[in-house]
Amino acid sequence: MPREQDPVGRVTTKERIETTGTTVGRVAAPEATRIETPDPGTSAPGLDALAGARHATDAGDDLRTLESGLDRLQTDAEHRPGLWRRFTTSVLPPIVFVVALLVAWQLYVVIAQPRPDLAPGPLDVAGALGDAWQSGRLQLAVATSLERGVVGFLIAVIVGTPLGLLLAEVKPLRRAVGPIISGLQVLPSVAWVPAAIIWFGLSDATVYFVVLMGAVPSIVNGLISGVDQVPPQLRRVGTVLGAGPGRLATLVVLPAALPGYVAGLKQGWAFSWRSLMAAEIIATGGTIGFGLGSMLDQSRELADLAGVLATIITILAIGILIELVVFAPLERRMLRRRGLLVERSR
Amino acid sequence: MSGQTAIRIEHVGKRFGAGPLVLDDVNLDIAEGEFVCLLGASGCGKSTLLNLIAGLDRPTTGTIDVPAEGAAVMFQESALMPWLTAQANVELALRLRGVPRSTRASQARELLATVNLSDAAAKRPHELSGGMRQRVALARALAQDRPVLLMDEPFAALDAITRDLLHDELERVWRRTGRTIVFVTHNVREAARLGQRVVLLSSRPGRVAGEWRIDAAEGRRIESPEVAALSIEITAELRKEIRRNAA
Repeated sequence: MPREQDPVGRVTTKERIETTGTTVGRVAAPEATRIETPDPGTSAPGLDALAGARHATDAGDDLRTLESGLDRLQTDAEHRPGLWRRFTTSVLPPIVFVVALLVAWQLYVVIAQPRPDLAPGPLDVAGALGDAWQSGRLQLAVATSLERGVVGFLIAVIVGTPLGLLLAEVKPLRRAVGPIISGLQVLPSVAWVPAAIIWFGLSDATVYFVVLMGAVPSIVNGLISGVDQVPPQLRRVGTVLGAGPGRLATLVVLPAALPGYVAGLKQGWAFSWRSLMAAEIIATGGTIGFGLGSMLDQSRELADLAGVLATIITILAIGILIELVVFAPLERRMLRRRGLLVERSR
Repeated sequence: MSGQTAIRIEHVGKRFGAGPLVLDDVNLDIAEGEFVCLLGASGCGKSTLLNLIAGLDRPTTGTIDVPAEGAAVMFQESALMPWLTAQANVELALRLRGVPRSTRASQARELLATVNLSDAAAKRPHELSGGMRQRVALARALAQDRPVLLMDEPFAALDAITRDLLHDELERVWRRTGRTIVFVTHNVREAARLGQRVVLLSSRPGRVAGEWRIDAAEGRRIESPEVAALSIEITAELRKEIRRNAA
C-alpha cells in the first residue's frame, strides 16, 4: 500500500542512483543547475539525494530564484479602479437620480398646479433656503446643530469606547449589563427628552443627554461585536509573541476589532444626529440655542411648508455629507488594507 | 547539535477536564539544535504536546523542561495581523520582545531577507500567497529570537510545490540559525524529509510509539529514495497504530 505514494518516475530514479553511485564525485556540478526547474517531478531526485556535499551558496541562490518565481506566479497586482471609473460607478448614479427627482417634482408643480402652501415646488424650496441664508438663520442653525452633533458624538465616543472594551473583556459584567445596553439601542432616544427637560431644564445639557443616550449604546455594541469577532488565533499569537493583557488589548484586540468599531461609530453618529434633531424640535426656548430642529419647528408654526422642506433637505444633506466625507473613506481604507473590500468594477 | 538537552519531557500526561487521556506517559529528550518531527494520526495529541512545550497549556502529570527564554511558535494558519504589512508584522514581534524602536525596521527587513521576502515588505497579508504568508510567519517567529522553534503543521494548508520549496527554505534557515526545531505533522514524507529524528506518537492516548534517527546530511529531497524508504517503514508502523484503534 505505501508504494502508491511513490512518485511515478520511480524506476528511472532507481537507475540514476545506480549510475551515480559509482560517480559521486562528478554529481555536484550538474546537480546545481538541475534544481532550477520549478517542478519537482522533473528534477533528478536521486542525484540530489546522493550529492551530500552540495554547494550551499549555489543551492541558496537556486532556492531564491525558485521562490521568487513562485511568488510572482502566486500573487497578482492589485487593480484599483481609476478615478473616472469610480466617478461613473459610484458618484454619477445618485446625482442623476436626484436631478431626475427634482425635474419630476418641478414638472408636477408646473403641470398639476397644486396649492403652493400644500405642495411647494423645488424652486420655492430653493427660494426658502435662499431667504434663510440671507437672514443668517440657516448658517446659525447649521453651525449650532453641527457643533452640538459633533461635540455630542465625540463625548459619546469617549464614554462608549472604554465602556465597550470593559464589557467585551469582562465577561460577568457583560452578562449583567450587555442586555440592557442592547435594549437601550432599541429605545428611541426621543423618549428621554421629557425626562431630560425635567432634570436639566431647557438647556444644552438636555440636548447632549439625549444625544448621548442615542449614540453610546451603538458605539458600545459595535465595539463589543468587533471584539467578539477577533479571531482567537490572533490573540494566541499575541500571547505567544509575549504580549501581556494591556498590550494584547492595544496592539492586537483593538486593531483587530476596528471593523466592528467603525461600524458602531457610523451608527453612533447617525443616532447622535437623529437624537439631536428630535431634541431640538421638542425642546425649544430657554437657553437652548437656535439649531436646525428649532428652525424646523419655527417654520411649522408659521405654516411655511417650503421652509420646512428646505430644513429637512439641509438636515439630510449634512447627514449624507458627513457619511461621505468622514465615514465612507475611513471604512473603505480600513477594509482595503485588510483585503476585505471587493472592488465591484473588477 | 552540542548534545545538550534543550527540551526534556518526562512522564507527561494530559487530560482535558474529565475527558479521556490525551497524552500518556510521554518521555522525550530533544537536544540543542536538533530538528525533531512529531508524527501521528489525527487525535494523537501532537498539537497538545506542542502547546505544552510552548507553555500555552500545563501538563496534568509529569514535567517539561524548556529553555528559560521560552519558545517561538508557528501555526498552520500564518495568523498574521491583517492590518499590518509584512514588515510591520515582524516589527510587532520585535516590539513585544523589547527591541528599541530605532533598530526594529532594519532588523525586520533583515529577517524578511532571510526568508527571501525583501520585495514583499510593504505588502499586507491579503496580497501575499499562502506560502509567502507562512514565510512572513517564519520571519516573525525568528524575530522572537528564542532558541526553540515550535511548528504546528505549518505547511499543511499549502500546495505541494510551495511546500517542497518551504522545506528547503526551512532546512536552510535551521542550518543557518542553529535553532532547536520541533515540527508537528501528519505527513509521513514531510517528517522523513525534514527531521533528524522522527518521533511517532500513537493515538488515544498519545504515547511515543517509535523513533527513527536519520543520519543523512544536507540535500535530502521529498523524492529522495532514502526518504521514500523511510516513509514506507514509518507508514507501516503508523498504520499498525491506527489499526489498533479499530478493535
